[in-house]
Order: sequence, then structure tokens, then C-alpha cells
Amino acid sequence: MTALDNYVAPTSLEQAVVQLQELGEVTILAGGTDLMPQSHAGRVKFKRTLMNIRRIPELRGISREGDEIRIGALTTITEMMAHPLVREHLPLLAQAADHFASDQIRNAGTVGGNICNASPAGDTLVPLMVLGAHVELASKPDDTLFRRSMPLPEFFVGPGKTRLAPAELLTAVRIPIPPKGFVARFHKFGTRPALDISAISIGVAGVLKDGKLSQVRVAFGAVAPTPVCGCATEEALEGKKLDAATIAAAAKAAQDEVHPISDVRASAWYRKEMIHNMTRRILEDVSANH
Amino acid sequence: MPETIQKDSLIGKRITKLDAPEKAGGKTRYIQDLDVQGQLYGKILRSTRVHAKIKSIDTSAAKALSGVHAVITAADVPWQRPIGVAKDHFPLKTDRVRSLRDEIAAVAAESEAIAEAALKLIKVEYEDLPVLSDPNDSLKPGAPLIHPEPHGASAKHDHLKQAQGIAYAGKPDNIAMTFDYQQGDVAAGERESDVVFEDTFHLHYVTHCCMGVSGIIAEFDSSGNLLMYSNTQVPFLHKREFAEILNMDPARIRIIQPPIGGGFGSKLDIYPFEPITVFLAKASGRPVKLVFTREEEFLASPTRQPVILTLRSGCKKDGTLTFRTVNTLHDNGAYTSWGATTPFVMMQTISSLYRVPHCLYHTKAVYTNNPYAGSFRGYGNLQATFAVEQHMDMMAEAVGMDPLAFRLKNAQDAGEVTPQGMHFKSCGLKECLTTAAEASGFLAKTKANAAERGKPGRFKRGIGIASMLHVGGGAKIYPSDGCGTILKMDDFGSVTLITGASEIGQGSETVLAQLVCEELGLPMSAVRVVNNDTEITPWDVGVHASRTTFIAGNSAIGAARKARGKILAAAGKMADLNPDELDLRGSHIVETKSGKVVMTLAKLLRQLHFSDKAELVMTSFYYEPPSKHQDKHFKGDVSAAYAWATQVVEVEVDTDTGIVRLLKVTGAHDVGRILNRLGLEGQIEGGIVMGQGYALTEELMVENGVVRNPGFRDYKLVTAPEIPEMDVRFIETMDGEGPQGAKGVGEAPAICIAAATANAIENATGVRIMALPFTPEKVYRALHAARKEAA
Repeated sequence: MTALDNYVAPTSLEQAVVQLQELGEVTILAGGTDLMPQSHAGRVKFKRTLMNIRRIPELRGISREGDEIRIGALTTITEMMAHPLVREHLPLLAQAADHFASDQIRNAGTVGGNICNASPAGDTLVPLMVLGAHVELASKPDDTLFRRSMPLPEFFVGPGKTRLAPAELLTAVRIPIPPKGFVARFHKFGTRPALDISAISIGVAGVLKDGKLSQVRVAFGAVAPTPVCGCATEEALEGKKLDAATIAAAAKAAQDEVHPISDVRASAWYRKEMIHNMTRRILEDVSANH
Repeated sequence: MPETIQKDSLIGKRITKLDAPEKAGGKTRYIQDLDVQGQLYGKILRSTRVHAKIKSIDTSAAKALSGVHAVITAADVPWQRPIGVAKDHFPLKTDRVRSLRDEIAAVAAESEAIAEAALKLIKVEYEDLPVLSDPNDSLKPGAPLIHPEPHGASAKHDHLKQAQGIAYAGKPDNIAMTFDYQQGDVAAGERESDVVFEDTFHLHYVTHCCMGVSGIIAEFDSSGNLLMYSNTQVPFLHKREFAEILNMDPARIRIIQPPIGGGFGSKLDIYPFEPITVFLAKASGRPVKLVFTREEEFLASPTRQPVILTLRSGCKKDGTLTFRTVNTLHDNGAYTSWGATTPFVMMQTISSLYRVPHCLYHTKAVYTNNPYAGSFRGYGNLQATFAVEQHMDMMAEAVGMDPLAFRLKNAQDAGEVTPQGMHFKSCGLKECLTTAAEASGFLAKTKANAAERGKPGRFKRGIGIASMLHVGGGAKIYPSDGCGTILKMDDFGSVTLITGASEIGQGSETVLAQLVCEELGLPMSAVRVVNNDTEITPWDVGVHASRTTFIAGNSAIGAARKARGKILAAAGKMADLNPDELDLRGSHIVETKSGKVVMTLAKLLRQLHFSDKAELVMTSFYYEPPSKHQDKHFKGDVSAAYAWATQVVEVEVDTDTGIVRLLKVTGAHDVGRILNRLGLEGQIEGGIVMGQGYALTEELMVENGVVRNPGFRDYKLVTAPEIPEMDVRFIETMDGEGPQGAKGVGEAPAICIAAATANAIENATGVRIMALPFTPEKVYRALHAARKEAA
């Protein structure tokens, strides 16, 4: 039994950030698919106030704003998967959503929640990172609404820990519309096809021109306390012709740069092996299909 | 009224389970849905230490919490008696805890939340003891004892109870049970052998994962009679054992089974939560309901025996098997359940699945501080078959025979009496082997896959075969292996079947109803089944050993035939016809030859009822199979019939990841005769998936006595997309003793999947893995090691 003193359900962003500022100790409820099991298992303690943000219209919806797609924090995984803008410009996200937990969880779980939960194995995080996503944060420390933006990789501090300030709300994620020649791959590696927590995941994106990759972004999930960028792997690929030697070097770089742990899902050794093999596989697929 | 009715039969038809509409519609009331007026909610405080002395327990704060009606520890029930087959397990722990699941205290309160809050207020002081988590360590000289013999005043006090075999006696070593079996002379067998293999196989922890978690409601009436709503598979044995544990007159104990959400052997034993709930009901004077959480179900319900099995076996150049020597070490966990007797079944597979002249078999079941193992569908047979059927492939290859020919050469035939004393009156093993092999294209695929092995490519395909033998006509373990039936006809031509056999989701009530309807010429809609109340139903030993269709089926047929005799005799008299020339069809009495309708069954039953003799048609029958107990050397024909099966498994191995995908399972099952085809298909398909989980995905990870994955997130049951294509063929051997010729098949389909999968992985990759489960990491490691060795 967790003692909650207070429950609030603001109906506008303005109201929410004011309440956050005033109430201080607040647990935020969006889809609840992480919060409820975690609190039930005793891993997360409810703070004094529970804030249900589901009635805030500004947090919903997917739209195109200039050269960016903006996905509201309350967008469910199912909505994201089905949305025409996502399917047209960011098919990688739709594909990742298709491997996300189960239908029931996708119907309730939100993009903002998946980001704020900051699990190293969070299924949308690696694809969002390689797509160059920024998070959009809002607060109202004084009389004016303050908004800031942050590249996603910088947002994560540790498992369940982010740079979100105590009175701040994640309102959306913004993703630049990919340039011409953009290729992207996401591989969630679990031991079964459904309802699995990934043992590792890999995202690779870049612009492929004349067989060469540039503007390469690589990210890995479940190999560190947060989803991480694969800088050495990026370096092994950037500007290189995507041939067998490059692929082998990139796979090796990936294997060498991750430092996973052993847990019930996999040993560190196996995770490193899979990072190697899956990176190679993804790159071979890119090379074979473009 | 029709003029004539021709003969029709229900046997072999696809009949929907009687309980299916309620279950599919979400209307079935499981124990979770039952509430008794005035009930309290029970919760158990479990140990936080794996092995420790209990220094003190302080329940004062819990007792003081508002809404709490009873808080009990072992001190409150000094009269409690040990449970289990070895009487080594007190429901509430007295001076020490031996595993992490151990029960220290229990609370009855007005809500689950209050009961949970009360548990948090109980303070326990422990003094840690060294932990034994590897059965090999338990056997080392000087190993700490898990059940040291009790000493001092209490031991003396228990003298009388010890004489009665119901007191806790302790053990001078960590060996819970041993089993030794011998036939022939293995040394002579080895001398005749041209090929000998010896390998050690490691079998892991899995648990039943019943969709319905454990639960019970216990209440005493004002005369002290105990009523339990219980999910047990063995209500009559439970009644007896509860009487013993509670020191009650068995006549005062009544067990009602609500619909049970899965058993698979997990409900063969009494577990501490059951007597504890009774203690709480006694202490509080109120009915108490206790239902496990899913996490509790993972931690505190039984597992399959983890086994380390060393098999040495040999054959001659021509493929004739010569001998088998088996040594197994079973991790019993901290206490002993019925499951410790799984060697009974294991030695049958080792001695008698194929003809082996010389066998030597030793088992030690040893105590550790791990979760304690119980009974689980297959009862040791999955473990034994895993080893035996891998060696069959290895020997076949060594003598240059194909796996099918090698098996056929050594397969049993009908009429065989094995050295262990099993008499195979019907035996479809050879037909199972050839049918499964032909239907799957086994021989051609074996060759083609092996040829592909060395070539580049990430995905490798493999095909593997394995067979199994299991009791299919009951198992005479308990003094009786029987079942009673009462049939009651009403005035309208309907029948109530009152059977001792429990329904645990396996479809027994449907097949029993079907057998009765077949005898009485009734449609399925004319039958009701009562099968869940010890106060009403006749005795039955319980649901285990794939026995219900066979034993309860023969019992139901016996009662139905008596009713049929009565009805036809009365009809003959009434219509002035020879009863031998009458038949029951479509709820009518007809002339057998012409099918001419004589009268409706309802009319006849009413005329009997309203006659001057006022006769109601009620019959009863008790069936005891013609099987024999094993002698002290484990020899004897324990089952009235034996079931056989061969399964061929096709896999795809991803050599980049070690992921093994089951593509197809082709099964051929000697079922005696098909009764309810739909029910049979359901049993076989469900069993295949359970076998698949055992082979590939399921593992209860236990480290230093701690279960690391007590939930479905990390305990991986097979999910829908992983389920393979299945082609299941039935071999009808028409068993002479079976009901309409049928044999029991409840356990059969789960037994050889793991063995066949091991053989298929070998066919795909050339790598043989002798430890389960075949998780991606384990398979990848094996492939990686093989690649390294080759390089």
C-alpha cells in the first residue's frame, strides 16, 4: 500500500507545469504500463502527488512542423505505428513499434513514457536516437512558460534516470525529416518473437550515396546503463564504402565498444557476440538492398 | 417419434468439451471467483533466507493491526504434523528454514491488503547456515545436514508418532531417497558390445505455470466438520492425508474441487499453504481463503526434477542393444514430494522402451536448499527419454545405421514381457516409428540436412526422431488404482454420471460422458457429470499417470452397461420382446436388427418409476485394473496398458544467434483407439507445446537457492508465433483392456520433444548438446565452441 496524499489531473499544459512547480513531489502517470508494475514490485515509490497527464490535449498528436515531425508525449505506441506521417517519413519507428511488447501494452504505453522510463532496453529509444531525435521539455519556474530542447542521447543519465528537472514535463519528441538517400535499420534481439525484453538492440542510420555511408548514427540498447551511441562503430563506417572489409571492421568496433552486463536474459559475452553478429547482419542487409 | 433408428456411434467423433462454453465465455468460477460468507483472507510470510536457524519471531505488531483476526507461527500449532511422502516437511517451520519459500508465519485478515500489511509487521531474526545449492555438494563428506535428526525432549515426545510413521525423524545424511534396479548383467552386456558410449546429461528446473494459481478456502462448521474448496488432483488421498496431518477423523473432512485452472501434476501433493489455511480457519473461527500471487506460484509451487544423468550404453555391430548403466542424481530441493519417486518411470524407459537385455540403474534424490521438486506431466520420463534417445542416435551413427532402422531393430512388439515385468499386450511402437518417419520424410531429410551442414549459410535445418513409452492403463502405485462410478437416470431419459475422476482441464468429464452415452444410446446433451465433491462421488485414486480415460472410462462403461442391462430387460418384459434383440439408440429402445422403434427411453424410465415396484434406474460400478504392484526389485506389470509414440521434430538453427526455431512436429501416437478426436488432438497439441517449452525456452533460474525469474517476463513460456506446424497421426492398436480399446495419453505428447529436438539440432549443425534447455545462448556457445575446436 502506497500512501498518496494527492491526485491531480490537469487539463492543460499550463496547468500541469504550474502544479508541478507548486507541488514539488509528483509522480507522473501517462500510460502506466511501466509505472504500475514497477510500483507494484516495489521498485518505484509513489511520490506524494500522482499527476495524471492524460487529459492534456497539447501532449497528443503527431504533426509536421517545418522539417521536423513532432510526436506528442502522450502518443501511444499503437498510434505512432499507424500514423501516416510516421509511416511515410520515419518507417523505422513504425517498424520498432511493431516489435514493442504486446498489443495491449502498445495501446496504453506512450512514447513519452517510454523515453522517461529510461530503460536501457526501451524499444523506441535506439531508433529515436539514430533518427536524431530531440526531446522537448516544458516548465514554468516563474510567470513564463519555459521550453527547452535536448538531443535524446543527452537526456539519459542511468536506468530510470533522466535530465528531466523536478518541475519539468516532457511534452514531445522532435525528429528531423531524413534527407534523400537516408537508410536506417533497427534490430531488436530477443530470444522470442513476441513479448520479449531485448537482450540487445541496435540501430544504424546514415545517408548512403555511391555505396558510401555518411552522417552515420549508431546506437545500442541493453548494453549499458542507458541506451548508448556507438561512436567507434560510426567512425568505422563514416565515409567508407560499405564493403565486406568495412562491415567486418564495423562489427568488430561495435563488439569492442560495448560493455554489457550479465543478467537473467543473457551473459555479457553473449551480448557482445550478438552485437557483433547483428551489426554485421544489419550492414550486410543495407549493402545488399541499396 | 421416428419409426426406425439406425446404429450410430460417438466413438472417434470430434466432441466439444462440456466445460468449453463456460470457459470460453469467461463464466467459469475458479477458486479465485469463489467467496464464502464471512471469509477472511490468508497470507503467508515466507523466509528471506535460503538456509537459516530461526532465532525469534515477533508477531505482536501484526496481531495488533486492526482487521487482523489471526497470526500464527509453528508455536501456535505444536500439534502440526509433517507432510509429504517422506514426512520431512512441517507446514509452519519450527526452528529452521531450508529454502527461500519456507513458511514462517501466516495471517488471516479482513482483506488481502490488511493481511499483507500485517506480514510486513512480523519481525524474524535468523542465523544463517551454509547453503547447499548443488546436489553434488550435498553428498560430499562433512556437508552440512539439511534435515539433522531432532534431539532433546521434543524428539522423545514424538516417539509414538514416529512409530506411526507420521513424525519428523530427520535424516543422518542428505539423501532423501535411493532407487536401485538391475536386470541381467551389465558387465556381460558390455563384453558383447562393439560400441559403447558414456555421457552425462543435465536436466534443468521448470515449473508447471498453471494459468490458475494455487488457492484454497477452508472452513469449519459448528460441529467441527472441515470443508475445503481445493484445486487438488487427488481429493480422496488428500482427505486421508489431511486427516492424518490435522489429527482429525477423515469422515469429518469434505473436499469440493472448483474448476481447476491446470494441474499437470502440481496438485498431487499437499503443500504447506493448505494445512496453514486450515490452521488459520481454526485459529480465527472464520472461513479463510488463500490464493497465491503469480510470484508466489513461481516461488512456492513445485518444479520438475532437475537431474544429472550419466548414461553408459552399448550395442553390437548389427545394431542390437546390449546394456545400459544409469546413474542419476536428483535435486530434491529442501523437502520430499511424491515427485521424488519419478525413478519408477525413468527406469521403465531405460529398461523397456527398447529391448535391452542388461540394465543397471541407480538414483539418489538428495536434499539441497533449492526449491523442492514435485510431480510434473511425464514424471521423470522427459529426463530419461532425453538421454536414452540421444544415445540411440549416437549408437546408430557409430554402427552405420540410420536412426530409424536402428530403433526398429530394437523396438518392442506386442506380446513382449520385458525383464522388468511389463507386459505389452498392445504395442504400436514400430508403426509409430514408421508412420512418423514416412509422414515427415525423415530419412531423406536427415541425409539432405547432414549434407548441407558444412556449407556456408546462416540458417541450418535439422530433423530428429525420438520415441517414448509411458503407462497408459493406470499405474498401480497406491494400494488401489481404481475408480468408482454411479449412474442415475431421471424420468426424462437423461443421465447423471457421478464419477470419482477429477477434471483438471484435460477433458475427462467429456470423454467419460461420451462413453456413457455410447452405451446408453444417448446424445451428449442428455448427460450431466458430477465429479468434484468427496461427499458425493465414489473413491478414485486421483488424476495422475495418464490414467483417467482408461480407469474412470472402464468404470463408467461398467456402470452404463449395468444400466443398459436393466433398461433392456425391463423393455423386453414390457413389450414382450427378447431383451437380447433390443438396443438403445437416439434415446429410444429399438429392435437391434431392424432399428424399429419400440418406445422412447423416457417413457420406459417413467413406467419403471411409477410402477408398483417404483424402480429408479441407478447403477454403480467399481473398476480395478488387472495390473500388479512392483516387487521390491521394481519388477512388475504396473499398468494394464502402455502407450507409445514417436515424434519427429524439424528445426531451423540460426548459427548467428543460436536461436532454434521449431518448424514442424510430426507425431504418431499409439492411443489404443480414438475416443474424442477433438479432445485427443487438444491433449497432443498442448503436450507438444509443453515439451517445446521444456526443450527450448522454459527455465526456472535458481542461483544459490534463489529463483531469479519468478514471473512470465523472464520465465519464458512458448508464445503463439513460436508454435510449430503439427501433423499428428493416431495409431489404433485397440487395446483389449482399454475402454472401447483406448489407452491413456495425457502425458505422452510432452515426453520426447526435447530428445527429438536435440537430435534435430545435431542433424542441423553436427553439434550435440546434452543439457537443457536449448536457449539461444546455450546453442550459440556450443556452436562457437565447436567452431573454435575445428579451427
